Amino acid sequence: MSEHFRTPSHLPLFPIALRMTARRITVLLAVVCAVLGGAALLTGTGVLGESGLRSHLPPGRLGGADIVVAADQEYHPDGDLPLALPERARVPSSLIDRLSDLPGVTAVVGDLGFPAGLIDAGGEVVPTADDPTAAGHGWSSTQLLARPHVTGRAPAGADEIAVPAATGLRIGDRVQAVAGGRPAVRYRVTAVVDAPGAGVYFADATAIRLASRDGARRYDLIGLRTAPKAGERVADALRDQVAGTGLTVRTGADIGEAVAPGVGTARSLLILLAGSLGGIVLLITGFVTAGALGVSIAGQRRDLALMRAVGATPRQIRRLAAAQSSVVAAVALAPGVAIGYLLAGRFHDMLADRGVLPPGLPLTVSPLPALATLLLLALTVQISARGAAWRTSRMPATEAVAESRSEPRKPSKGRTLTGFLLIAAACALSVTPLFTRTVIGAAATSIVGIVAAIGLALCGPALVRTAGAAAVRRLRPWTSAPTWLALANVQAYALRVAAVVSPLAMAVVFVLTYTFAQTTVLAATTQDTRAGTLAQYRLSAPALGGLPAGTRDAVLKLPGVRSAAPVGSTTVVWPYEMFGEADVESVPALIATPDAAGVLDPGVREGRLADLTGATVAVSSEVAGSRDAGLGRRIRLILGDGTRTEARVAAVYDRGLGFGSLIVSGELMSGHTTSGLTQSLLVRTDGTATAARVLTDLTAAHPGLALENTSGTGSGSKQDTPPEVWINLATIVVLLSYLLLSIANKLVAATVQRRTEIAALQLVGTTPRQIRAMMRREAAVIAAAALVSGMLLSALPLALLGQGFLGRPWPAGPAWLLPGVAATIVTTAFLTIELPTRQALRRAPADAIRAT
Amino acid sequence: MNLATTTVRAPAPAPAIALERLTKTYPGDVKALDEVSLTVRPGTFLAVMGPSGSGKSTLMHCAAGLDSPTSGSVRIDGHEIAGLNETRRTELRRERVGFVFQSYNLIPSLTIEDNITLPLRLAGRAPDREWIAALVERVGLVGHLSRRPAELSGGQQQRAALVRALAARPAVVFADEPTGALDLRSAHEVLELLRTLVDELGQTVVMVTHDPAAAARAHKALVMADGRVVEALDHPTAPQLAERLVALGAC
Repeated sequence: MSEHFRTPSHLPLFPIALRMTARRITVLLAVVCAVLGGAALLTGTGVLGESGLRSHLPPGRLGGADIVVAADQEYHPDGDLPLALPERARVPSSLIDRLSDLPGVTAVVGDLGFPAGLIDAGGEVVPTADDPTAAGHGWSSTQLLARPHVTGRAPAGADEIAVPAATGLRIGDRVQAVAGGRPAVRYRVTAVVDAPGAGVYFADATAIRLASRDGARRYDLIGLRTAPKAGERVADALRDQVAGTGLTVRTGADIGEAVAPGVGTARSLLILLAGSLGGIVLLITGFVTAGALGVSIAGQRRDLALMRAVGATPRQIRRLAAAQSSVVAAVALAPGVAIGYLLAGRFHDMLADRGVLPPGLPLTVSPLPALATLLLLALTVQISARGAAWRTSRMPATEAVAESRSEPRKPSKGRTLTGFLLIAAACALSVTPLFTRTVIGAAATSIVGIVAAIGLALCGPALVRTAGAAAVRRLRPWTSAPTWLALANVQAYALRVAAVVSPLAMAVVFVLTYTFAQTTVLAATTQDTRAGTLAQYRLSAPALGGLPAGTRDAVLKLPGVRSAAPVGSTTVVWPYEMFGEADVESVPALIATPDAAGVLDPGVREGRLADLTGATVAVSSEVAGSRDAGLGRRIRLILGDGTRTEARVAAVYDRGLGFGSLIVSGELMSGHTTSGLTQSLLVRTDGTATAARVLTDLTAAHPGLALENTSGTGSGSKQDTPPEVWINLATIVVLLSYLLLSIANKLVAATVQRRTEIAALQLVGTTPRQIRAMMRREAAVIAAAALVSGMLLSALPLALLGQGFLGRPWPAGPAWLLPGVAATIVTTAFLTIELPTRQALRRAPADAIRAT
Repeated sequence: MNLATTTVRAPAPAPAIALERLTKTYPGDVKALDEVSLTVRPGTFLAVMGPSGSGKSTLMHCAAGLDSPTSGSVRIDGHEIAGLNETRRTELRRERVGFVFQSYNLIPSLTIEDNITLPLRLAGRAPDREWIAALVERVGLVGHLSRRPAELSGGQQQRAALVRALAARPAVVFADEPTGALDLRSAHEVLELLRTLVDELGQTVVMVTHDPAAAARAHKALVMADGRVVEALDHPTAPQLAERLVALGAC
């Protein structure tokens, strides 16, 4: 007889969980989509973050070196991530002699890098290396190239030069070179060098002369070649030698770090990016996944309640829900993670295209981001599944069965209260932009929006129920049947309606606050720089690595030029104390001289820009207050090349958004920048056409110079849209598509689960047309509720943002955004309800009733 | 297969069910049960009758540990359950109590076999395969084990629910209107089965019903009204019960 009954002696609960899921494909699809998208976004962010921490740059022009000794281009705060120092710190030349004596060393090369640009016979700039600020080297540096293909002979005389193959120049050609900011000199090409990262090479003696600044003989770095297999031994010996000098000894994959001092900045950017994306991605992934699981488990409430009746403990019910959800999530995890790696690759390419990242910086691909994603999502799924099953699991069994046929009678009080508290907290936080007129202050607006939307998701059911009841009370007796039904449904199924309204509202809030926060800051920044830039022109020489000496004098002699002042940008590290806690920040700073007052007006409220002499700085009023850096105070700074110094605050200015939080004096920075040259010259003229013409003529007469109008650009940065704005907008698009996809899925799943209800309505004589009308009216209510609540939640933070940044209670941004969002929400709501309803109506009602 | 030989039960030392001054009050001061005391001896088939709202379902839910009473004591097989939390009550219930519901309460997504073994699975107990196979054969479900509830008739579903209730060899089986959703013939079969269980296996069965014909199959019938037991009848007959119910102004 037991051949009919093959149950094994041990009965695990887990397979039951699986069998219960197997027949619920539509609903599970929503969960799968949520997890898939979440896994992709989390993994992608993780890959960016890990690359920021661990990726290695290709060794480029140092590919032939076995060991490189260079200054440490990072500042290491206590217990925090290192901060990049973007200006080259140099190595004393005396070190070379000591190194060449080490056993196992076959060659020691002191490498010099200095600004150099080539100009052909036609007066056009010939592109050389990626970075013209350090394109010039001595001939001996060619020993550090990886397998260079050199034709010709080494440059020997002061008028000889070797050029990279990419320039297309040939041996014997005549070419002009602007090196180290000196006037152009004619050289004869004696060699063509074909190797990755090759620059322009001069005879060693010439190179030393061209590069020497302040007469000090210092190298950018020292490259060593070693006997085979001696590398690590020599490196260890070297590390002993340089211990305590602030120099680093790099080998193998680390060598790429030494090529250019700014690479650390790109990696810091990746870390920052991953950090800021991580928070929002995690919030949205959690929200979407929890929502999808909520719908899925709500659909199984009856099954779970029945299991309670036949003896499942509350804990078992929650375990069952969690196990089942985990299995479904696991299915989506692997492809999601794979997509995440691809996504990170695409994102990296886009960043490289925009010049935000050096194209050579590769992504680190390791299993760590996948692992982190797995853990985070597993946690999210377990918590949300248990949360969703909590109520059903804890009820007495009889009540659970009875309730499973309709909805839980009342949304729980704790949930509603938590929701209101979150919204209140969000409102309180949204005043931040009034006090901190910085990018961080604006970021608060976006976070506030999301927090408020989560609050809405929690107190939504109570709100929907109240609003629905009010609407039903006001109905007139002759209201059409579909409208009456639709409103009755909204009221009776408040949880279900709220579950759909809240993610839609979240999409509205998210898009509005996030986009407007970006565009408002951008508008305020532009306003600041426009108002604060008196100069009409910016003269620079990017292809030469900096302006040749004497440019300023030449410009000042032109008729109609009122004022011309050199400016540049650098990054300094600023250790400070805030609320009694030591902190340290890497601050982009504008380099300016006392005569900047003639071309810039950063809104000085105390002190004078003209006092920017010696070791002085000007600070924005934002940081002056918060960091105890008022007029006359002394602040500690670590300059871009790692030099520790102290500077006195000579001025405090108001236009911090446009000019950054710090302006450092040119004298303070002198000798502490990579190129040592003036980056650009701001020129104020009398505004006449003559002045414009003579400036244009001057530019044309000096190859390599570039003249721009300042009206299109800011004075601190050269790009019109800062990369972070662009990155944030790209993020919005990705996250919004994820949100919309999951919302659509959820709506479809919710409608599919109403098949029985639809069938029951048909059985009592509701025509398909009436049912469709009813569903459409529900869709209208849902879309309207989502739009109204989303706009209400965004209104306060955005008004405060506008007030704080632009002095008016509304934000700046594209006018089409609001109608665009409204159209998207309405379309999503209608399509995702209409289509499954039509599908449900195709089935005979009696069948639908039986099948449940 | 002889059921009787496989199920020799040690004589239970305690009553299967003992209720003492059991009271259940719902919000709004609605008294569903008003100090009901009751003892059910092992091997008894007890029917509880009464008009709608008389408290018979509440009595069963409290006696079975599905719901907790407001006050009073409930002992199942000698174990006090009043005051236990939801989890402890559930554990005690699945050890000692079997259920048959009017709406079968089979889980639609599971096969009949999985449904039958579900309580054991939840309790982490190994099923007594011979016992279950014997039950399956006795109720005539051989060959239907791998089907899903929707593929069976109502009578078959209720018989599957009966096997599920008995699979763990409970001290008492509660049946809540077990024939309420069945046609006459199926109803008759299910009642016949219940009576056989009591007579052949000494199984204690408590059945709540408003159908006098169904109650007439029991050894003893209680008639309830307004949360109290108003009458107890030994070996009741259908006309006798119908008359009592009509007298109570219900049915």
